[in-house]
Amino acid sequence: MLKVHELDAYYGQFHVLKRVSLSVARGEVVVLLGPNGHGKSTLLKAVCGLMDKVCGRIEYQGEQITGQNARNLVNRGITYIAETRELFPLMTVLENLKLGAYSQSARPHEKENLEAVLALFPRLAERRRQIAATLSGGEARMLAIARGLMSNADFLCIDEPSLGLQPNLRQEVFRIIDAIHRQGKSILLVEQNMPQVSALAQRIYLLEEGCIRFAGDARAAAENPHLREIFLGM
Amino acid sequence: MPWLEFLDVLISGLTNGAVYALMAVGLTLIYGVSKAFNFAYGSFYSLGGYLAWIILVPLGLWGGYATVFVLAVPLLLGIGFLTEKAVVAPLRARADWEIKVMMLTLGLALCLDNLYQVVFGPRMKSLPAIVEGSLELGGVIVSNQNLGIFFLSIGGMLSFRWLLNHSRVGMAVRAVAQNPQGARIVGIPEKTIFAATFAISTAMVGAGGILLTQKYFVSPTGGWDILVKSWVITAFGGMGSIQGALYAAFILGLMEAFVGYWFGMSWVLFAMFGLLLGTLVVRPQGLMGKWG
Repeated sequence: MLKVHELDAYYGQFHVLKRVSLSVARGEVVVLLGPNGHGKSTLLKAVCGLMDKVCGRIEYQGEQITGQNARNLVNRGITYIAETRELFPLMTVLENLKLGAYSQSARPHEKENLEAVLALFPRLAERRRQIAATLSGGEARMLAIARGLMSNADFLCIDEPSLGLQPNLRQEVFRIIDAIHRQGKSILLVEQNMPQVSALAQRIYLLEEGCIRFAGDARAAAENPHLREIFLGM
Repeated sequence: MPWLEFLDVLISGLTNGAVYALMAVGLTLIYGVSKAFNFAYGSFYSLGGYLAWIILVPLGLWGGYATVFVLAVPLLLGIGFLTEKAVVAPLRARADWEIKVMMLTLGLALCLDNLYQVVFGPRMKSLPAIVEGSLELGGVIVSNQNLGIFFLSIGGMLSFRWLLNHSRVGMAVRAVAQNPQGARIVGIPEKTIFAATFAISTAMVGAGGILLTQKYFVSPTGGWDILVKSWVITAFGGMGSIQGALYAAFILGLMEAFVGYWFGMSWVLFAMFGLLLGTLVVRPQGLMGKWG
């Protein structure tokens, strides 16, 4: 579904991604592991058209999409789900969700997606009239995911959905990602929690210092000594 | 002061305050959404006045002010949109673009004002009142013109509020103002929204021009006073805060009326800046602004 071939990305002068190649098949959950500040979020943003300086090749459903802006990519069905920072803080939960369906391809499905999303997140349904800035950390994270689902995308790039959450909320987030996956969405996920990741992911990539250092299926990753050392301290 | 005169001054202050509110909210909107400063704002006020004059006096079109609004508002929207695309948008990608936008819109203001002078001549134009006659309520005489201006400004504010809160473009405008990156993520065309914001604010100040120049004449440089007042209101209310601008506009409108009545009009600007400085000393972020 998605193929990234020898991608380089820069923040100003800073060379963040170095000839990164990866792929995600239809219906697959692929997890991107790696230490903080080594380019995981940058890779997601590059795929979603949110990086200015990118070279290399990105293909989506066989078509070249490198250099297209986020708006076109959302229309094609690729959505970026950030942690909570990219919500609209002074708008209600409902307004945030409606804006999630802003793109042309999502608009006709706004009603059914809203119903589906509120069924998936009952907490948000209760708080639909509440201002986003007043949500708790966990609820805001749910809203970020829910807003992404409103875009009707087939391909979701989810950036550290469990970051900073307490364990029971973390479980909840993984349960929801699993549910989304079962609906047939393809997911590229940035995550740090090795145990949960290996339960959820089909394949795993390790990104260190802007380069892919490991690629393989989840079971192989769990047995890889380098990965175990980094993420489990063993 | 006798209470009848007091009411008279009060009504005049509220009327001007309502129009100032319409115009200052337009100015603060551009700042809040795109962080751009528009120094040509006053010239669009004059443009509104001149458009009204063209339609009412030389052309004398049927329908009076209704025709003015029907024709001028879409025209002002279009002019605002194109101005943003031609003057502001190309600068956005550059370093220090905020300063460059200030300089360029200042230049645009000078060009427009001189253009008005060439086309319409330096003499002031006067416009007919939007409604003639007056209303007597328990001994208080209120001119229908003031009432008309007041209610149309309030109507303008309410339609703006509706547009911002409930229309698609309004939601997108608020989204860009609150979180540009978030807006990009959901697929909002940020650049079009910047231009649309500029267009809406141009229509608001132009409508202010149509409403207010009938009390004070249209002249080529008449917009500077409005630019200064709109800026004072914006800074006083808190940069980028729409609600703050609303309160500030009525406070300054009333202050202008009473200071003008007691001390003479030449003290109005002095009092305005005095109030602004006093406020900023105590609250640097303005009445309702957020700092940073």
